[in-house]
Amino acid sequence: MNIILNGEKFSIDKKTSIKDILIQNNIGEKNIVVEVNKEIISKTFWDQITFEENDQIEIITAVGGG
Amino acid sequence: MPLIIDKKTYKSRLIIGSGKYKNFEETKKALEASGAEMITVALKRTNLGQNDKQKNLLDYIDPNTYKILPNTAGCFSSEDAIRVCLIARELLNDNLVKLEVLADKETLLPNEEETLAAAKELVQLGFSVMVYTTDNVELAIELERVGCVSVMPLASPIGTGQGIKNSNNLKNIIKNANIPIIVDAGIGTASDATIAMELGCDAVLLNSAIAMSDNPVQMAEAMKHAVIAGRKAFNAKRMKISNIAIPSSKKTDALS
Repeated sequence: MNIILNGEKFSIDKKTSIKDILIQNNIGEKNIVVEVNKEIISKTFWDQITFEENDQIEIITAVGGG
Repeated sequence: MPLIIDKKTYKSRLIIGSGKYKNFEETKKALEASGAEMITVALKRTNLGQNDKQKNLLDYIDPNTYKILPNTAGCFSSEDAIRVCLIARELLNDNLVKLEVLADKETLLPNEEETLAAAKELVQLGFSVMVYTTDNVELAIELERVGCVSVMPLASPIGTGQGIKNSNNLKNIIKNANIPIIVDAGIGTASDATIAMELGCDAVLLNSAIAMSDNPVQMAEAMKHAVIAGRKAFNAKRMKISNIAIPSSKKTDALS
């Protein structure tokens, strides 16, 4: 099935968790926040959550800014 | 009186931004040279498929040493700004935020209505809000009234380096405020920061003036001294301006 990951279409297996997505995309767990359909998902649930078709996942971090 | 923002005391009256530097190493060196204790960051999507050993900004700026001020930069509605603040709180485990809601991409001027709406809601949600705003005195008063911990009017538009174009409005905001007034945006060089402090601002927030100079580390140090000089001059109070020349030595000391 397809989800939207950081604005781009991304194909995953049905039982994929947030943790799996992070691993697949080489993203470390430190210094990030994960949103699913604009709701922040606490780190505690990253290996539990699974997705529905077209869910919107955002992985956000701090970058340089004024 | 030291600078107190949200019950925390700061020795430095300079706050710097972390944008536009060549790399994180330069950001860190400029931060150290500036003497600033608070630095703003933005929140953005991570790059996908990157090397997971790749360093993050927060690996270079230790949140235990510096106060990290997350900024809602790039938000054009109160809804988006509130969302960014919630993400920031999750990321940094802190309630302090810089609220910035812009009106349009061309001018990057604040959207007053959306800024006020977001400020009200964020305060209700338990955030400590440092708010970027126009130099509108009435709005500054209202933002303080709704519970912001600092009001941060622009001196001229973001990233322009035009310096202070609105001294009288800034003075009026300062006169009516009971919370720190911090000039945010428009500072181009060290003398601009000094003037802001001489007007009576409590602090200065700047980014491009350091990052876009030819030598950011040297400019960061210049800004550190500029802010100190301006504050001391403000405290010492400038002499009265005279329309006629007045000799520095007494008449009785003259030889003829």
